[in-house]
Amino acid sequence: MKALRRVPAVFGFEWRRALTIPRLSWMLALAAFAPVLLMLVRSAAGSPPPPMVAAVFVYVLAPGVVCMMSVFLLATPAISAELEGRSWVYLAVRPYGLLAVLLGKYLVAVTWALPVGLTSAILSSVVMADTELPRMVAVQSGLAALSCIAYAAVFLLIGVLAPKRAMVFGVVYAVGVEVGAAFIPAAVNLLTIQHRLRCLLVRGMRMDEGVAERNPVFLSYFGDETATWHIFILLAMTASYLIAAALILHFREFTAAAETDT
Amino acid sequence: MLIELTNVTRLYGIVIGVNDITLSLPNGAHGLLGPNGAGKSTLLNLITGQLRPTIGSVRVLGFPPRRSPELLRRLGYLPGSEGMYADVSALEWVTYLTRIQGFDRGAAKRLALQALERVQLSEHMHRKISTFSRGMRQRTRLAQAIAHEPEFLILDEPFSGLDPIARHAMTTLLQQWIAEGRSLLISSHVLHEIESLTRSFLLISGGRLLASGSTEEISSLLIDIPSEVRLRVGAARQLAAEMLNLELAESIRIAAADELIVTTRSALLLGQFLRCVVSEGRYLITEMRASDDSLQDVFNSLMKIHRGMA
Repeated sequence: MKALRRVPAVFGFEWRRALTIPRLSWMLALAAFAPVLLMLVRSAAGSPPPPMVAAVFVYVLAPGVVCMMSVFLLATPAISAELEGRSWVYLAVRPYGLLAVLLGKYLVAVTWALPVGLTSAILSSVVMADTELPRMVAVQSGLAALSCIAYAAVFLLIGVLAPKRAMVFGVVYAVGVEVGAAFIPAAVNLLTIQHRLRCLLVRGMRMDEGVAERNPVFLSYFGDETATWHIFILLAMTASYLIAAALILHFREFTAAAETDT
Repeated sequence: MLIELTNVTRLYGIVIGVNDITLSLPNGAHGLLGPNGAGKSTLLNLITGQLRPTIGSVRVLGFPPRRSPELLRRLGYLPGSEGMYADVSALEWVTYLTRIQGFDRGAAKRLALQALERVQLSEHMHRKISTFSRGMRQRTRLAQAIAHEPEFLILDEPFSGLDPIARHAMTTLLQQWIAEGRSLLISSHVLHEIESLTRSFLLISGGRLLASGSTEEISSLLIDIPSEVRLRVGAARQLAAEMLNLELAESIRIAAADELIVTTRSALLLGQFLRCVVSEGRYLITEMRASDDSLQDVFNSLMKIHRGMA
């Protein structure tokens, strides 16, 4: 609880620091990326896409690429930036300072990425959905929010695990695990955020109606768990990643080599 | 007790950072002296809990320092490296760190304002740190260390890069700090910076504690160490021969036609001899300069012992 009292200080301070014109430009570009691309796709296709195809397109670009990219840029370097900038030590000598910084920066990453992801998801849905627009907006917005919350935690953990090569490992994780392993129909994909979000898309857009009776291929990719279960698992994964990151920060020695003269 | 180290060794792989240091320091002001690479920052990192000792134990104000909130509440630290955010003002930065210390927004701002005033930065505190001179940045760093009114302040090379005026201002501020009865541990590789603040020193080199105590106590360790005397004398060669014949000198170097550098283990006897020859008018000694008791000489002598050169 004592650490949590310090989180608003970090959150407010880091949020203000992040409020720069280059950062705003990047975020605006990211928010516009999916709807603009989908608009081009749709105009090239000439005819309205089937609802399921539209939902998948929006999902891949908005909660998938845009949200993941936004939190990747914000959360992955959160710890390494302090270490490289040698500002780490000022935080490390404050009571509960490291935990406050971890949680504060996590919230900053989520709250910066969330408007971007939501804007992208809503505009993309408007562009692609000819029918069931409210459902599409609700489902894609929910997926965007969950995507930001979960990916921010995993990228923060990667930044804590490998602060010197955080961005590289972040890309490797995104491509290798969230794109590669998530599509392997085995136990390993259950550990990916992508799998949970994909299952939620299928449940939310009712893509499983009539298909899931009981097609084994479909089940191997999307399972038969409820949406509530997937949301619970996603939140549990997020909490686990944050706890793991906090434990690493607590036990690991992060003193920069340059800080010591021996 | 302010600091208690028991057989503390810190290894970085196969490199020794600090080597088997045992010491107890009471409350008060202490100087940590050693050349670059001596292990000062490693020792301070152990004391502030950023590093764990490979062997041994560390206690600061009675607490093991590693991630100890109880200790960190009472500790102020100015690290050796800068590491400040360039894009915020001094007031924002000090307030931010004071809030993480555990103060609410209002109290943190009030304390930050007081600290910045104390380091004479009130006038510039709304400017971004990136526009500050080196001295102003150093004073801002000191402000974050003292803002929460810690009872124990640790400063790693605080005078580094400061001009004489800024050095004087920082010395005055630290003297006030000590006069208020608070504890201070200050590291430096420049001795005179610390001599004006404290008479209690720790001398380290190569990760080892060479000596600790006051200048006088450390000097007493050197009683059997050869001391050096410089003489400016008319008949330098003749006097040199006489001193060697009387076995008053270990070695004599003729630095110039009228200058001798004498190394002796019998400084007292040498002094009596020189007094005699001058009073008898046998030699005209125009200058005699013994190595004084400055800490630099003490330190140099200890370093020679440590390196096996004495």
